[in-house]
Amino acid sequence: MMNKRTPLQSVILYTLVLALVIFCVFPFLQILSTSLKHPIDWGNPSLIPRILHLDAYKELLGLMPAKEIDVPASIQRLLDNPALSAEKKQMLLAKFSSGGDVFPFGRYMLNTFVISFITGICSTFLASLAAYAIARLRFPAQSLMANGVLFVYMVGGVLLMVPLYQMSVNVGLASSAGGTIFSLFLIYLIQTLPVAMYMLGNYFRTIPFSLEEAAMMDGCSRVEAFWRIIMPLSKPMLFTVFIYCFVIAWNEYLFASVFLKQYQDFHTLPLALQTLFTSKNAIWDRIMAASMLTLLPVIICFMLANRHLSGGLTDGGVKG
Amino acid sequence: MSSVILRNVNKSYGNLPIVKNLNLDVKDGEFVVLVGPSGCGKSTTLRMVAGLEDITQGDIQIGNKTINDLPPHKRNIAMVFQNYALYPHMSVRENIVFGLKKSGADADTIKNKLADVSEMLKLNEYLDRKPADLSGGQRQRVAMGRALARDADVYLFDEPLSNLDAKLRHHMRTEIARIQHQYNMTAIYVTHDQIEAMTLGDRVVVMRDGIVEQVGTPMDIYLQPTNTFVATFIGSPAMNLIEAKIEGEELVFDNYRLPATKIANVDMHSLRAHDSVLVGIRPDFFEDSTLSSPSDNLFEFNNIEVNLVENLGFDKEILFKLGGEDAKARLDLRSHVKRQEHISLSVDLNRVLLFDTSTQGMLLNAGEV
Repeated sequence: MMNKRTPLQSVILYTLVLALVIFCVFPFLQILSTSLKHPIDWGNPSLIPRILHLDAYKELLGLMPAKEIDVPASIQRLLDNPALSAEKKQMLLAKFSSGGDVFPFGRYMLNTFVISFITGICSTFLASLAAYAIARLRFPAQSLMANGVLFVYMVGGVLLMVPLYQMSVNVGLASSAGGTIFSLFLIYLIQTLPVAMYMLGNYFRTIPFSLEEAAMMDGCSRVEAFWRIIMPLSKPMLFTVFIYCFVIAWNEYLFASVFLKQYQDFHTLPLALQTLFTSKNAIWDRIMAASMLTLLPVIICFMLANRHLSGGLTDGGVKG
Repeated sequence: MSSVILRNVNKSYGNLPIVKNLNLDVKDGEFVVLVGPSGCGKSTTLRMVAGLEDITQGDIQIGNKTINDLPPHKRNIAMVFQNYALYPHMSVRENIVFGLKKSGADADTIKNKLADVSEMLKLNEYLDRKPADLSGGQRQRVAMGRALARDADVYLFDEPLSNLDAKLRHHMRTEIARIQHQYNMTAIYVTHDQIEAMTLGDRVVVMRDGIVEQVGTPMDIYLQPTNTFVATFIGSPAMNLIEAKIEGEELVFDNYRLPATKIANVDMHSLRAHDSVLVGIRPDFFEDSTLSSPSDNLFEFNNIEVNLVENLGFDKEILFKLGGEDAKARLDLRSHVKRQEHISLSVDLNRVLLFDTSTQGMLLNAGEV
């Protein structure tokens, strides 16, 4: 029979595949493992924690019960002194609680989610209009424009970082938190649009033009045909493009680190993780749990995108 | 319903002319078929009427209103596409009512139309299916249904049957003819299949290279083709064309001498101006001489050697040489000719046509046209 593998070939093939998979998956396993380890277990090289320790997750997700403040007896006596003002008492108490150590993970996640979600929606919407124009309409300098957008990718982010920040300072956007976030959103749009357009444009070309013609004969204008025929038919690809843009924005670190440096409240997760990594006392389980929680939406997104990618919606519309 | 008028319509892509100076009047309620070989401009003409192609020059009117610059969705035209072009994400029901809904029809009208159309095209049990779950014939019926559900001024058909198998094509052809008569639709139908053209059209427009060669009823075109292109394109098997010398009042080829005076519609005076003519005889008009009833207008081709017999059931087609060319005759099942037999074939001279050898046009007595 054709292409039948010998047992030896099979063994070699599967060994190589397995090696590659382990190489790719190992860092994730390491993250997962460390995030579940108790501090006493950190030195243990095994991937399997000796005790399953979920405190890091609970802490990040705000599920930990409020800590009892353990105050030495001498201080307690001081606190009991009615002559001490309430303000002073709080200051004293704060020294014994670990309040300075709290990491507002939920806040960062929300920041990241909001900017990624808006980027995903806007980029997908704008890309679908642009992709349709490039795929279907004829206008002067069409191919120049179609290829020109890809030019963005020829210039690395590091090169653009300073000029773009300069620009946003010049137009006055960088002077407020809202303006800064808006300029960051614009940058994410620019970063995601070219590929989004490319993906959608190629997909639109696979939809037979006669479907639009049929819609036009049925009384739809070109724009209506786009909304009522092309867009519903492109749902899988629109979803994939959305996920792609969402994930790009979700993981973006470089521009966020420059633009959001002074707005701690608006930090995104990659930025927050970085502060966590470089903090003086490395609390490994928390760092890794935070990494894991940052990864999770990305993994979910890819699984969803994968499921949607396989379906071809245009089957059966036209005879080949 | 409305009439459609095309006036001096031209279409070219760059310098390449596709349709040249086309004039056509489609009357209200008339079924006109555009027929011709691939690339003759028939589909382009249809798409110009639909508004899917721009008109380079000329005017198109629907119901006496010039629609040159009207976008397709404002022309109130329904169209059946060659590849069906069903909306894949909609069910059969949604496909059929899409245009109706778009035109703002009320719920009752939509319901009634849907019931009518699905009943007529036997689509009732498929209404909730998606096009992908239908067979080719069913998809074709949905495409028809989508057009018929519309209350359009004009219905356009762009080779709607070309993707179906022979049996289904025959069935759908009959259906289309029935529906068109029932609703008295103004319809323009494009096909390269001359049988569809003959059976469906009130009038047939034969096109070649962007030019209209002949417009007429199917029988006009069959019996009185204006030139050799129409003569050979319409009718199957194609008309036999044999070059003959003119000697006095006789047309001579091989050992046969056809009396020109007995050929209908021929003006002897104009004939004498030629040295030779093309004699056109349809295969259907040959008869086995042993079976034909004697008549003084019959001409007998005797001593014909049968090269091949193709049995088609009721008919049989036989291949032989005439004037040095391959010729075909269609005989019915009463005739028992065999391969390599020598037989006699007779032809009613009223059915013989003559064509000019240089212009390829039919030679007619001017008074008889």
